[in-house]
Amino acid sequence: MIVRRTANFLDERLGTNAGLRFLLTKIYPDHWSFYLGEFALYTFVLLVVTGIWLTFVYVATPSGAFPSVVALSRDAPIGYFIRQVHHWSAVTFVAAILLHMARIFFTAAFRKPRELNWVIGVTMLVLASLTGFTGYSLPNDVLSGTGLRIATSVMLSVPFVGGWAADVFNGGRYPGPLLLSHLYTFHVYFLPITIGVLLSLHLAMVVYQKHTQFVTDPKHVVGRRFWPDYALRTLAAFACTVAAIFALAASVEINPIEEYGPYHDWIVPNPAAPDWYAAFLDGALRLGPAVEVRIAGHPIPAIFWPGVILPLIAFTLVVSWPWIDAFFSRDRVKHDVLSLPSSAPWRTGAGTALIFAGFVLTMAASDDQQAIVLHVPIVDLVTFYRVLFPFGSVAAGCLAALIALEIARRRALRASERERVVVLRRNADGGFDEEEPQPA
Amino acid sequence: MTAGALIVALLAAIGSAIAAAVHGPVAVIGWLAAIVALAIAFACASAAKALHDPDDLTEARHDRGPSEPFPQDVLDRRTAIGGMWGFAVAALTILGIIPLVALARRPARGGTAWFRGARLVTEAGDPVRAGDLTVGSIATVFPEGHIGAPESATLLLRLESDALRVTPDRAGWAPQGNVAYSKICTHAGCPVAIYRQASYELYCPCHQSVFDVLDEARPVSGPATRPLPQLALDVDADGYLVAQGDYTEPVGPDSWWRTI
Repeated sequence: MIVRRTANFLDERLGTNAGLRFLLTKIYPDHWSFYLGEFALYTFVLLVVTGIWLTFVYVATPSGAFPSVVALSRDAPIGYFIRQVHHWSAVTFVAAILLHMARIFFTAAFRKPRELNWVIGVTMLVLASLTGFTGYSLPNDVLSGTGLRIATSVMLSVPFVGGWAADVFNGGRYPGPLLLSHLYTFHVYFLPITIGVLLSLHLAMVVYQKHTQFVTDPKHVVGRRFWPDYALRTLAAFACTVAAIFALAASVEINPIEEYGPYHDWIVPNPAAPDWYAAFLDGALRLGPAVEVRIAGHPIPAIFWPGVILPLIAFTLVVSWPWIDAFFSRDRVKHDVLSLPSSAPWRTGAGTALIFAGFVLTMAASDDQQAIVLHVPIVDLVTFYRVLFPFGSVAAGCLAALIALEIARRRALRASERERVVVLRRNADGGFDEEEPQPA
Repeated sequence: MTAGALIVALLAAIGSAIAAAVHGPVAVIGWLAAIVALAIAFACASAAKALHDPDDLTEARHDRGPSEPFPQDVLDRRTAIGGMWGFAVAALTILGIIPLVALARRPARGGTAWFRGARLVTEAGDPVRAGDLTVGSIATVFPEGHIGAPESATLLLRLESDALRVTPDRAGWAPQGNVAYSKICTHAGCPVAIYRQASYELYCPCHQSVFDVLDEARPVSGPATRPLPQLALDVDADGYLVAQGDYTEPVGPDSWWRTI
């Protein structure tokens, strides 16, 4: 009743019912993997809601930040719970984006005409990681402060402009007096607003270009209407996401800054490792060669290669993948029907190799802990990961490609068996004999 | 089913709010809130099941492009100066550079807070005598009056006097086996916080660089490429350890403009 009245109120003034009818009756294809992106969307909603609440209690000054976050937990359990929800949502957000991306990649949904949405998506992944890192740094505890120190050192390592960039970022020499207020600006305004704009564009493109599907009908979208089917399912997905994050926040503590203590540049926790999505960079810094190149007397520090060049290469490779893919597959036509991972073994192999490489670097970020547990010297673990990074990735890629080939072969076999026509003839014993049909 | 789930959601929400208001345990507040969301999810799912279309529907796909090409003359019509408009873009870019550069307030680098004659004091502010540390022990020290100053944190170690390999240019820097190195790692700036007494090694917990304290803190493993700078020490008239001056090389991680 209220819904109908509101719709009519708006329609009489703006003529919105035509648009509403278009949105409500629009057909969407359905598959479980299409919900991965929605989990990312809904964790973002949760992040915005809890984040706005947190801005009311946070103090962005070097001396005020840590006490304000500790007070938040101490004064009322709900404050602690909201911070836990926020942090759990942040780490889930990045994970959901990566899972969604893997789905897009392995089913080749990025192909023409959807390359632009892939680029927007990859950009949002980077922005989400940066938002996560800046937010993780805001409490100014000793763990995140150490992360900031490392980030500043990576910035410093960039030839020519690095010192200036680090100086601007810190508002002076590290740890600058304006560092936290800069982080706050990035974490609360610049990054989330940019994500919000890109997200709207991302979704508008999906509606406008229509969703891809597995059903092999290139001329039609095959699925169910938005209302009532899809709307209720996506609301259920939203509520499930919220329930999962609430349950995590209620039972598993994340980022206990009270235990770490406030930041001082002469104190460091041991072990020191970042949130999971930044761990691959930390691992890269651990594995990077201890070599300092000098150009005309100017050093290029060792951290420049794993800290700046490696992520730049990875980003370039991933963001330009639709064009790399089109080049190698010589496939420049438009696709609305998804490809199965087994149909393109080389793509499946390349994606697996990339994921494995990231996994190796992530694992390397806890090599000090593994050395203790496994009773192995840490230098041996570093050597192991240095070898595993290139060779293991190639091997994992080849293995995935071979598995894909095998699945494709079996599928072709089943299809040919389906096409085979046999004649069953009842014999005298009551059983059946198989006969090849006579060619006509 | 749907109505039942929604009633559960309402009750759980009231429960969670009450638990939060009376400062109840986080687990109770959180799990009740999770039950609210779960009940709503259940309600949506059961409504979806009741209302859903039994069969697949279809909708025609439209090719979104290419649309009508522009008439030839619209895009090709030469403006008066054509490519010279690139100068406008360049001009606006140049205008933007100055505000960006102006954001940097200070030169990127300076010395530390150490100065000639500065007493070594602990974090608590106690000055250290040459004989205070037992052989094999370690302390974090600062210049007196500058506790916590950026990049000034220094490690003071007491070693057997004859264990240290001293090069001629650092003769007299380590009175009575007291040797001081910068605590800021030359790799990525973390504090080199862990001392392995048995092997005379300093270990950075961030990226596992290891420095040999007997050999001027040169890196022996891990990603660091430069030794930890050594602070030249002396003993003043009252027997306290003092610095001979600031570090003679930059502390912390390297950058392009570091020429030493």
